[in-house]
Amino acid sequence: MLTQVIINGLLKGGLYALMAMGMSLIWGVMNIINIAHGAFIMLGAYLTYWLFVSLGLDPFVSLPLSMALIFLLGWLLQKYLINLVVQADIFITLLLTFGIELLINNLALLFWTADVRKVNVSYGAANFAVFGATIPAVRLAAFVLALVISAVLFYLMNRSRLGRAIRATSQELEAAKLSGVKVGNIYAVTFGIGTALAAAAGTLWSILFPISPTMGGILTLKSFVVTIIGGLGTMLGPLIGGLILGVVEALGTNLFGSTYENLISFSIFLLVLIFKPRGILGGRG
Amino acid sequence: MRQTNRSSWFSLPLLLGALLLIATPAFAAAKTIKLGCAIAFTGKESRTGKYYVDAYKYAVEKINAAGGVKVGGQSYQLELKFYDDKSDPTESSRLVEKLIAEDKVDFLLGPYSSGITIPDSIVAQRYRMPMIEGGGASGKIFDKGNKYIFGTLPPAEDYFASTLEFLKDQQPLAKKIAILYADDKFDVSVGEGTKAKAPELGFDVVLYEKYAEGTSDFSSILTKIKSEGVQAVLVAGHTEESINFVTQAKELNVSPYYLGLTVGPTEADFRKALGKDADYIYGVASWSPDMKFKGAIFKDNAEFVKDFEAKFGYDPDYHAASAIADVAVFKDAIERAGSLDKEKVRDAIAATNLQTIYGTVRFSDNGQIKGTSVVLQNQKDEIVQVYPSLEGAKAVYPIPPWDKR
Repeated sequence: MLTQVIINGLLKGGLYALMAMGMSLIWGVMNIINIAHGAFIMLGAYLTYWLFVSLGLDPFVSLPLSMALIFLLGWLLQKYLINLVVQADIFITLLLTFGIELLINNLALLFWTADVRKVNVSYGAANFAVFGATIPAVRLAAFVLALVISAVLFYLMNRSRLGRAIRATSQELEAAKLSGVKVGNIYAVTFGIGTALAAAAGTLWSILFPISPTMGGILTLKSFVVTIIGGLGTMLGPLIGGLILGVVEALGTNLFGSTYENLISFSIFLLVLIFKPRGILGGRG
Repeated sequence: MRQTNRSSWFSLPLLLGALLLIATPAFAAAKTIKLGCAIAFTGKESRTGKYYVDAYKYAVEKINAAGGVKVGGQSYQLELKFYDDKSDPTESSRLVEKLIAEDKVDFLLGPYSSGITIPDSIVAQRYRMPMIEGGGASGKIFDKGNKYIFGTLPPAEDYFASTLEFLKDQQPLAKKIAILYADDKFDVSVGEGTKAKAPELGFDVVLYEKYAEGTSDFSSILTKIKSEGVQAVLVAGHTEESINFVTQAKELNVSPYYLGLTVGPTEADFRKALGKDADYIYGVASWSPDMKFKGAIFKDNAEFVKDFEAKFGYDPDYHAASAIADVAVFKDAIERAGSLDKEKVRDAIAATNLQTIYGTVRFSDNGQIKGTSVVLQNQKDEIVQVYPSLEGAKAVYPIPPWDKR
């Protein structure tokens, strides 16, 4: 049973990691706590749903398309809206993204109603057994995909010109400007990548869980917790944070009962803030 | 000369207009009884809230078309006044106050969900305004000595009573049961009531666990169910949780003999979301489309189910049926009271003995309907009542394991 619990936790942790990656990136580079993060996850989930229902596109096939569309949305939002206040106090951007969240959620409620929907793929609940533990195939796929996307992001950040420009902007704004980095563009691209990652998480979420327009709130919160646990300013942070949160939640709910899931997540969150305020990987504060 | 001419051209339409203005009230003299209702059009309860809104409107439409409500030889038309409570209890009770104080409604219909009904019913009591509600079943609504609240959902504590009675006669016997419930008022009452009753009927409750409302991940609970060898699983929660629970039971290959959930299995969304995985899943309800009741507003239950589906494009479930009963009881009680006086109507409601498509409505002294729930099962796109058993319907028990479907 313990093996099963830990497997459950790890698989869920992979999804948490992917969810938090976008938030961590935006936060680390621009010092924006994107309250609308969960709303972008919701948009990704609904895009997947509509592409599945209307065109019959498999979620794993439509994933790049959803990511591209939400990238565009994020890019436009940053370029023409958030960039206007990006240099202001952190609370201004916090308020702005909060407003964006309200707007997106309520538009979604208006157009899609509060109906609970689900992407019903034929292999949705496929599973196989390993050493007496049951492994749900889609969760495993989601987990692997989260690892792949982290690896791609890691490579992009460390090796590409774009990645270097993003890191430079995040580490030393003035010097980056002097070296000819167009900061406004870099910010827009970064926000776009962040929201595209949220969309990817939304796609995977929609295969595993039912979706509704108000699903984003708790996911923003979880992403926030994972980001804090893992530590800002490193690509590995969300991955480690996500896996830790997933496993501790699984063990904790198994021990104390499911009501305490959120209590457990926020307790780890507090413990990390007290003992390791810069996160477990302790990047830039 | 010209001058006079023009002024008379002006005054003619004015005069006509004035005449019309005076005349209009006489044409629209049909008397109305206003029913007020603050209910979820948006927010987390809005999906189920819509069932009530549709059903309230439909019931009123049917009554008005059939001549309205007759009080003292005069005919009154029913009129509904809705507000969106955004699924928020505080907002809802504020709006109920507004309905009473500003809109001067005559009587109140209830909101959806127990947690919202409690504060709303307290406002109704403060203004001594009768409220009939079809969307709150928690005992906590009715244990406050409130004389003005009447509910048409059976007591939450007894929700799974019929399920346990059904289970005790099934072979192979599911002796080890799990009771799981969300941490809201209604479901806590369901959980506590079921736990108290199960041992009396010879069941072992091997898992009794509460989960947070809105939980999306049940893997930890399901892992326990598997390792404890639970044979019957009873879940008191909400649609979204029910869908998650069933999907994840399949993901983790958990196949008890019996899986029953309070909210979800009877709803169209549940079947749409789960497809054929919804098959064999059991539910409970205070009403089922198969019931053979004569109605007060509709001819009988079958006609109601058919007409409702044709009008709204989805199958009614017990929420809608309960809402129809609420309006039917108001009509009946007002006619028996022979007046719109709030105290007289309240007493008439308390004395209700009305045959509706929802069954016979009679209220206990605390205002809650007397009655129990029936056990239903999803069988190939259909909801079948399996207990108390009806002719031609047979339960599929035990539920076939996931890998043998």
